[in-house]
Amino acid sequence: MPGLQRRPLPVPGAGGAASGPRARLSRLRAPGAVAVAIAGATCWLALVDPHTPGQYGVCPLLALTGLYCAGCGGLRATHDLAHGDLAGAWAMNPLLVLAVPLVAVLWARWAARRWRGAPVPPREQPRLWPAWLLLVVVVGYSALRNVPALAPVLAP
Amino acid sequence: MSTPNEPQNPYGAGDQPEQPSNPSGEGAPQQPGGQYPPAPQYPSDPYAQQPGGAQQPGGAQYPPAPQYPGAPQYPGAGQYPGAGGYPQQGYGYPKNTLGVWSLVLGIVGLLFCGLLTGIPAVIVGSKSKKAVAAGEANNGGMATAGIILGWIAIAWTAIAIIGFIAIGGIAGYSDWLNDMSSTSGY
Repeated sequence: MPGLQRRPLPVPGAGGAASGPRARLSRLRAPGAVAVAIAGATCWLALVDPHTPGQYGVCPLLALTGLYCAGCGGLRATHDLAHGDLAGAWAMNPLLVLAVPLVAVLWARWAARRWRGAPVPPREQPRLWPAWLLLVVVVGYSALRNVPALAPVLAP
Repeated sequence: MSTPNEPQNPYGAGDQPEQPSNPSGEGAPQQPGGQYPPAPQYPSDPYAQQPGGAQQPGGAQYPPAPQYPGAPQYPGAGQYPGAGGYPQQGYGYPKNTLGVWSLVLGIVGLLFCGLLTGIPAVIVGSKSKKAVAAGEANNGGMATAGIILGWIAIAWTAIAIIGFIAIGGIAGYSDWLNDMSSTSGY
């Protein structure tokens, strides 16, 4: 079909595969902003101790229901991790301790992909299982933390 | 760009720079108006995996024609300038992930920090709604549920924060906390 010639790829601005140092740095803005935000929050948590009750207000869920959610002890665990106290962090929120390396790897992959500027390879089907896995893990962990027999291991 | 010899086809393949890299898609039916073969019906159950062989290389990934009664609604016609050359071929509903994430974030927001995940649930859910309107997703129900749950999570967290301020902030809460002999929960 002569009328259906495809045009060459448009060269997108920051999102494309431009490889100049300026383009690379501008593509790293989003991962950089996330890293700065996490680092800043961690520093704040390291300095302002969340072990002091009421330091960061009150968890609405715990105050209203007395239940531990998946995030309970998360700030305290972050504080302990920032001070190098792995055992203390594990006692506060083991799931958060396990999630930290996972999040770090995902962030590194994201940043590397942005740095290379290569387009995301197309998938036959969009990946849905990470969302469902997160749901199962968070809901299951929240439930198990409130089982009295498991509370010494899982509850803060 | 449509060429003069095809004035009746303003949405020819030349207007679709985001689909250039499909080697077998040359001459695939790109014209609007009922020329898509009926797409395999993707079940809304996200666990259901479509066998890879069911993906036809050209055009079959679009929903059936009744959602596109006229040419102007055809979603692939150059409406995604930011797609950056990502090939759309081979996708079923490429943005179904948005609805799933919205629902998951909404549920998590109910029993987690409501603001932390409730706000993303609403944002991702509204993005998913747009994707449904553009024919890139078919799970609008999940998006609706995610948006509603997100708002509920935001609302009850906001009410709790207001209540916390109402009892006198940290000082008032500390008194209350001493009665409860508990911790902050964070």
